Parts: sequence; structure tokens; C-alpha cells
Amino acid sequence: MTKVLLIEDDGETAEEISAELIDRGFDVEWSSNGIEGLDKARAMRPDAMIVDRLLPGIDGLTIIDALRKDQVRTPVLVLSALGAVNDRVRGLRMGGDDYLTKPFAVVELVARIEALLRRPSETRETILRVGQLELDLIERTAKRDERKIDLLPREFRLLEYMMRRSDQLLTRAMLLEEVWNYKFVPTTNLVDVHMGRVRHKVDQPGEAPMIHNVRGAGFILRALS
Amino acid sequence: MYQLQFLHSNTFRWAFAVAGLFATFVVVLFGFIYFNIDDYLVARSDHMIATQTDFFVSLPFDREVGAIEDHLREDSRGVQFAGLFDPQGKRLAGNLERLPAEIRVDAPIQTVRVTWLNRGQSGDPLIRAMARRLENGNIVLVGRAVDETLEISHVVGEALAFGLMPAFFLCLVAGAWLSVRTQKRVEEVNQRVQRIVAGDLRERLPYRNVDEPFSRLAAIVNGMLNEMETMINALAGVGNDIAHELRTPLTRARLALERGRSKATTLEQLQESTDKALGGIDQSLAIVTALLRLADIENSRRSAAFSSVAFDDLLREVCDIYEPIAEDKQIQLSVAIEAKLEVCGDRDLLFEAIVNIVDNAIKFTPEGGRVDIELAPGDRGAVMRVRDTGPGISQQETEAVLRRFYRSDKMRNTPGVGLGLNLVAAIVKLHGFQLVIHPGPGGQVEIICFQQQVSERRSEQLVLSG
Repeated sequence: MTKVLLIEDDGETAEEISAELIDRGFDVEWSSNGIEGLDKARAMRPDAMIVDRLLPGIDGLTIIDALRKDQVRTPVLVLSALGAVNDRVRGLRMGGDDYLTKPFAVVELVARIEALLRRPSETRETILRVGQLELDLIERTAKRDERKIDLLPREFRLLEYMMRRSDQLLTRAMLLEEVWNYKFVPTTNLVDVHMGRVRHKVDQPGEAPMIHNVRGAGFILRALS
Repeated sequence: MYQLQFLHSNTFRWAFAVAGLFATFVVVLFGFIYFNIDDYLVARSDHMIATQTDFFVSLPFDREVGAIEDHLREDSRGVQFAGLFDPQGKRLAGNLERLPAEIRVDAPIQTVRVTWLNRGQSGDPLIRAMARRLENGNIVLVGRAVDETLEISHVVGEALAFGLMPAFFLCLVAGAWLSVRTQKRVEEVNQRVQRIVAGDLRERLPYRNVDEPFSRLAAIVNGMLNEMETMINALAGVGNDIAHELRTPLTRARLALERGRSKATTLEQLQESTDKALGGIDQSLAIVTALLRLADIENSRRSAAFSSVAFDDLLREVCDIYEPIAEDKQIQLSVAIEAKLEVCGDRDLLFEAIVNIVDNAIKFTPEGGRVDIELAPGDRGAVMRVRDTGPGISQQETEAVLRRFYRSDKMRNTPGVGLGLNLVAAIVKLHGFQLVIHPGPGGQVEIICFQQQVSERRSEQLVLSG
């Protein structure tokens, strides 16, 4: 079972996060303070960690820094009530793999943890394949079976990102950050509009849909079984 | 309390020092005048004595006595002395009792004490005199009283006493008065400031409409206090606005939850009301997040995060992103980039500002309208201009839209937090640019990028058009 270590000082928040993760089949270990958390991280070797930035006695980033110095490469999701862009940049530079600002939706947190656990390996392959979908990174072309798909550069980037993370829930915020490089959430349904277009091109009428909309959460690209 | 403190005050010390300096200067000046006049008078007397002596010596012997008597008769003031003595020193003529013992014959003019002849004149006067031996052995003496210099010294002394002393004391009194007055005003200012510190923001420093340092200082401080009062009131207003803005979505959330709890009979109904409540809470959180971001940007300075940003590329990227959205709404989005523009700034923030403006333009433009984005060189720097065929902002609203949470009545039904333009304004200000909002009809917003190098490239015109 996948082990997740949660270091979070607020009991109620920790309880909610744990409950959700356990429902999803994770094995969750919780520490309410940084020192204990650091010890546990070294002892139990979790598959992923969720670390709150502001902990009594120690900064969450210090824990990550200490682990990284010990050559522990466990993916870490940093939680923070500090939302400024600079804090985010600092959090990621200090060794965090992803950064989530409080308050957040639990769905968002789970999606990000799953993304961290299933990070695509840095393959040298130049052709990505998901089911009948094929993306040539050199030629910049896309095909579904033998049907050629015309994509604009941004759409190509979106599809590439989704294919690297197929079968994972991708939230709008994740897409905005990774595909559009946004550090903020705009008011318009920007992601939906772009996604709608890509979807229209990938799943033509009569074809079984590959891109799925998960209501209130995000999108999943699935290979047809 | 300050009545005695003035002795220690700086003003008084300065007054005292200046008075002392002034007194010394006057004493030196008077001394200089006195000694110069004295020298001048003595020199003049000596000259007259020499001339007179030469005259007597040149006369024939038989006329000497007569000439001396005549000479003395002409002297109404009684300052002339003359005498003719035989070789033994016995008086032959003149107004002297005898030839003074100290006088040296045929010597230069000297100062000697002489005795009046037969007259009860007070004391023996001290005079300038010279004696010459005539060819027949007689001695002629001519002299002149120099008591005038004494009189002058008296006058000088009296002038000093009557002039200098009162002036000196006047100086001290003026110093003391100024010092007490200054302290009084400092005390007055202090009392008012204490009232301001205690929370009376309407209090102002005493101000008299005269050109004097205290009043000018008071005017400056009062100006500052006016600004601060406005700002503090504005802040208090913002606090109220925030509370008000938050209450609306929170009320919605509460109502939805309450109804769900009491009315829902199926899971679907409960989920529906919960979703509504979540929507309200998300809206509140969005407001809080936007406010924090706004504060974050407003408080940051042009910082190390600033680097060279290709503004034109940024604009192209935003257009690239918004093109499908515009197309969905059947809005024609056109872009004209006539200048290549490198600015010093924060790429993410500038991106956010442009996104906000373009987003607004598309949001408020009805279907079938158009949005024009352009970057063109202007008089004061490159200008990024976004125009749309939406309702625009009325003349009265051009300032109001920059108030927090301001939303035009026409836009009440459009989703949003009402902080977008505040954010744009804060970002633009941080970069030292200028945000210009033109009144409608039709929206027009400009960002003027000052002092940036604009190199025109004709070939780049109309790179993109939608």
C-alpha cells in the first residue's frame, strides 16, 4: 500500500486529509510537529509526504531541506497559508515538488498527491502513446488511429501534458500552472474553453470519448479499454 | 514650567552669545574711534604749536612781547599757552608763571605740566608744548591744552553707558522672549500632537498665515495629516467594504446549508444544497485571496525579481490564450503590435495585469462585438491599448472603478470579485507605469510604459489577427 506521511499541526485539517486519503486507499501516517515528522520520514521511508509550511518550532521547508541533504528523494507537497507568488517560488526551490495554498479543495490535494506519486519518468521517447492516441514530439503531429489531428501550439502542449499523465485526475489549477504557466486563477473558464476544443478534436462524434470531465474537479485522459 | 527653562534653551544661549559678541564689537569700535580722534587732535595741536613757534622766533625781538600778548588775547577758549623767558628762566611775557622745569629747550614737542600765571585756574594743566631759544638767549614757549581728548573719552564712555548697556540687555530680553515663545509653541504643538496620537484625527497644528518657520512647518505637517486622515478613513472604509462583500456569499452559503439540512429528503437534494454552500464559501475565499494578493503587490517594491521582460511577447501570449475564448463568444479579437518592447519588470505580474485587462474586455463585450489589442509607440513611452465594444466605463466611473469592490451596476450580474482593476493598478504602479481608463461608450484601457526603449519594427506589424 502507498504510504503517505502527513506533517500538519492542525488536528482537524489533518483528520480531514487523512480520512480522504484513506478512502482512496492510502496508508496515512500523521505527525503534528516537525521534529517527530522528520524522524518518521527517515524511519518509515514514505512514498510521498505532505508538509505544512508553518509548524510549531520548525519551518516545513527546513524539514524538506534536511531530508534532501540526506539524499531522500521522496516527493513532497508543501501546504501553506502564505499565498504570495514569492513564497511559492521559494517553497519549490527549497526542494518541495508541488505547492498548494490553503484553503484548498480536498480533491485538489488528492489529485496532486497522485500526480506526484505517478510522476512521468523522464523518457527519451519522442512519441507518446495512450490507447489509439499518438503524439509525435519531434514532428509536432497528433493522430488518433489513422486520423490526423490538427492542433494549435497551446493545444499540443495541453494534450502532451495530459498524455504524460493519463488516467490521472488533472485539476484546472494544475493545468493552469503547468500548461499555461499561470501563477493565479483567472475568472474566466479559460481551461474549459481550451479543453473543449482539444476534446472536440480528439473525440469526434461517433468515437468513444477519451477525455473525461470530472464534475467540479477536472479532467482525465483515459485509454479506451 | 518653561518660564525658567528658557535659560537653558538654545535660543536664549544664542541670544546671549550674540549680545556678548555685539558688546565686544562696540567697545572695540569706540576704542578705535577714541584713539584715532586723540591721535588726530594731538597731531593738529602739534602742527599749530610748531607754526606758532616758528612765527614767534621769526619776529624781531622788540615785537615778541606784543605778539605773544596778542596771541593769547585771541584765544577765547583758554587753551593756548605762551611765554617768553629770559635765559635764567624768568618770565618776560605770556600766561605762564614760570618756565616748566621738565621742558627741554629746542627739543621736539612734548607733554608737560605747566602753572597758570596769577589765575586761580583749577590745577596745573597738562599741555603739549615746545620751547625755543632765541638768538638773544631768551626762551619762547608755545603750548596748547590737550584736555579735549579727555573730554572725548568722557563722551565715549557715556555713549557706551547709555547705548551699549541697554542694547545688551535688550538683546538678552529679546532672546529670552523668543525662547519662551518657541517653547510655548512647541508645548502647544506637543499638546495637539498628543491629541492626534490619542485618536483625534481631525486635530491640526496651530497655523498662522504668516511666512515664518513655525507656520510653514505647521502647514507641511497639516498637509501630511490631511493625507493620512483621508487614507485612514479610506482604510476604515475598505474594512467595511470587505466585511460587506464577504457577508453576501457567506449568507448564501448559510441559507443553502440551512435549507439542505431541514428540507433535503434525498442525497441528491443534500448534495445540491451543499454545492451551493461550497460555491458561496469559494467566493468568500476568492475575495480573501484576491485581497491578500493585492496587499502583497501593493507592499512590494521594485525588487530583485525584476528582470528584462519582452512585453510584446507577453501580449502575444495572452492573445494566444484568449483567442479561443473570444471565438466562443463570437467576439473578434485583433492584435496589432507595432513596437518591440523590452521592459524591466516582473514577468508573472505583468502577465497577470494584461490577462486581467483582456479578460475584462472579453467578459464585458456582448456577443458579436470586437476587442482590439495594440502596442504602439507613444509620446511618453510605448502604449498598450485594449479597446472593446462593450458598455465601457462612464465618465463618472473612471475613478470609481479603481476603488476596491467597485462594480458598475451594469455588471452586477457578471461573475467576479471586483478587485481586478485594483490588481492591475497596483501592478502598473509597482512598475512605474501609468494606467489610463478612458470613459465610454466602448471600453478603452491603456498602460503607458514610461522610459522604455522602443525600437520600431515595421515588419512586425499585424503579426496576429483573429
